[in-house]
Amino acid sequence: MRVLCGNHDADKMTTSNHESSRKLTANVKAAGCAAKISSLALKQLLSSLPRQNCPQLLTSLDNFEDAAVYKITEDIAIIETVDFFPPVVDDPFLFGRIAAVNALSDVYAMGGNPVIALNILCFPTCDYPLEVVEEILKGGHAACAEAAVTIAGGHSIQGPEPVYGLAVTGFINPRSILTNGGAQEGDVLLTTKPLGTGVMLLGLKGDSLLEAESKQLLASLTLLNKGALEIAKKYQPSAATDITGFGLIGHTTEMALASGLSAYLYMDKMPFFAGAVRLAGQGFVPAGAYGNRNTFGPSVINLKHIDIAVQDLLFDPQTSGGLMFALKEEPAMRLLKELIDSGLTASIVGGFQLGEPGAIEVRK
Amino acid sequence: MSAQEKQNFAKRLDLRGLMCPEPVLRTKRVLDGKPEGAIEVLVDTDINVMNLTRLANSLGLFLESEEREDGYQVVISSTESGSPTSPASQSRPEHNHGDAPGSKSAKTVSNQAEGTNTHTKTNMVLFIAKDTFGEGDRDFSVNLINVFLQTVLQAGHKPQAILLANTGVRLMDPDSSVSKVLNEFKEAGTDVFACGLCVEFYGLKDKIAKEQITNMYAICEYLFSADKIISP
Repeated sequence: MRVLCGNHDADKMTTSNHESSRKLTANVKAAGCAAKISSLALKQLLSSLPRQNCPQLLTSLDNFEDAAVYKITEDIAIIETVDFFPPVVDDPFLFGRIAAVNALSDVYAMGGNPVIALNILCFPTCDYPLEVVEEILKGGHAACAEAAVTIAGGHSIQGPEPVYGLAVTGFINPRSILTNGGAQEGDVLLTTKPLGTGVMLLGLKGDSLLEAESKQLLASLTLLNKGALEIAKKYQPSAATDITGFGLIGHTTEMALASGLSAYLYMDKMPFFAGAVRLAGQGFVPAGAYGNRNTFGPSVINLKHIDIAVQDLLFDPQTSGGLMFALKEEPAMRLLKELIDSGLTASIVGGFQLGEPGAIEVRK
Repeated sequence: MSAQEKQNFAKRLDLRGLMCPEPVLRTKRVLDGKPEGAIEVLVDTDINVMNLTRLANSLGLFLESEEREDGYQVVISSTESGSPTSPASQSRPEHNHGDAPGSKSAKTVSNQAEGTNTHTKTNMVLFIAKDTFGEGDRDFSVNLINVFLQTVLQAGHKPQAILLANTGVRLMDPDSSVSKVLNEFKEAGTDVFACGLCVEFYGLKDKIAKEQITNMYAICEYLFSADKIISP
C-alpha cells in the first residue's frame, strides 16, 4: 500500500529510523494540545476578524471560554465545542479514546451535559492500514458511549498527518453556566487530575517511563471529566475551566484575567505525575511549554525562585487535562475530600486575591 | 569553538531534522555511555538547545551553544570547555532561568552546581525502610536521619529516587520534621515515593499525596535499575 502512494515527506523524516515510521506518533511534530496555536497568535488572529452581534450568544470570545453557549429559552441553552489533534500515543484505539475524552471535556468545563458528537478525521490512508483508522474511531466511540454521548456522524479527509477529534453538542441551563470569569477574591483553586501530560507524553514517546508511570498517565488521559463535574456541581463553584493547551499557568491566568483578580499557586501542592519532574529536568519539554512560557511567563511573580523542571511543568500544555474550579475555601475542602474519596487526584493548588488582574504569584 | 577543539570531540551527532524527543534521547544515550571528552551535537531549533541544556544539567555536565546559519551547535562536556569564556558567562547556572538559548548568536555556558562539578553521574537511589538512622534513642535517631538527608542534599548529591518503605513512610507525613527536606529533594528533581502498602498499614493514606504513593513493582524497577543503592 505504501508503494502505491509514492514518496512522502513523512517518509524522508524517518529514513534514519525505519522502525518508527510505522508508529502513529512517528511523524507528529506537536502532539495533543501541545499542537495548539499559541495564545498570543490566536489573540491576534481573532482580533483581526469583524465583531458579530448575537444576543443569544452567552459566551464571549474575549474571555477565552471552553465552549460556546447559545440561549434558546430561559432554561435551555445549547453548548457547542470542537477539539482535535494529532496522535499522542501509538495505540490507535487509545488515541481515539483520549482525543474524544479531551473534546468532551470542554462541555464539562462549562458545566454542561454533552449529548451528541460528530467525528472529525484527517488521515493519510497511504501510510497506515485502514484498520488503524477503524481503531481510532472505535476508541472515540468507546469514550462517547461511556459519557452517554451519541456519535451522529462526522467528516473525514486525507492529509499528511493523522488528526482526530470531535465536535460536541450539549445542553446547559443558562443560569448554571460555569465560566472563567466568576472567581471571587478569597476563592481557592482546585484541580482534578495530575499535571504534566505534555512532558510525560514526550517521555512515553521516548520510551523513558516506568510501567507504573505510564499506567498513571494513560489512566488520567482516558478519564472523563464527567464524574468530577457531577461532584463539583453540588458545591456551587464560582468559576471553572479545564486545563489544556495553555497549561496550569495559562488557564489560571485566563481565569484570573476574566475575573479581574490576581492568583497565587503553591509549589508544594502541585500534583505532578510520578516521573514528571525527572523527565522535565532531563529535557523532555514540549515546544508548547516554551511557547506558554513566552506568553504567560512575564506576568508570573517569583517564577525564577523555583526549580526549572517545576517551572516547565507549570507551563506544560495538557492533553485531556482535568477540570479546575474556583470556590470558597470551606466548601473546597469538602469537595476535595469527596473527589479524593471517589478516586480522583484532586488538589488545592492555589487561589485568587486582589491585585493586578491576571498576575500570578508563585509561592514555595 | 576553535578548529583545534573540533578535532577533539569524542562524538559528533547531527540530529537536525529529528523531532522531539529524539534529539534528547539520542544525546542521552551517548552521554550515558560516558564518552571521554566533549561531544558535539547539531540541532535545528532553540527548543532542542533548551532541552539539551536541561539534559546536561541533570547529568551535572557543562553545555555551550552557538547559533549558526544552519542551526545550532551544542557542545557538552564534563569539564568547563577549554575555550576561554568570560567569568560572567559561567557564573549563572541554568536552573535560574528558562530563557531562550541566549540572544541571537549568543554563547551560553551552564552548569547546575554553582561553580562545582561534584554531581555523581551514576543512577543512585536512596532506599529508606525505617524512620530512624540506625538504632538508639528514638527522637535522636529520627533527628539523625533528617541531618543525613539534609547533608546529602547540601553536598549536591542528586539521587534519582528516594524510596520509603515500612516505617520509613512516616518521614513523608507532613507533620514529620523530615518531610521538608524530602520536599526539597522533590523540587530538585528527585522522585520521592512511599510504598502504598506501608502507607495504608501505618494509617497515613490521607496525609500523603496520592501521586507520591507507589507500589512494590515500581520500587523494584527503581532498585534493579539503580547503579548504586544507599540504605541508611
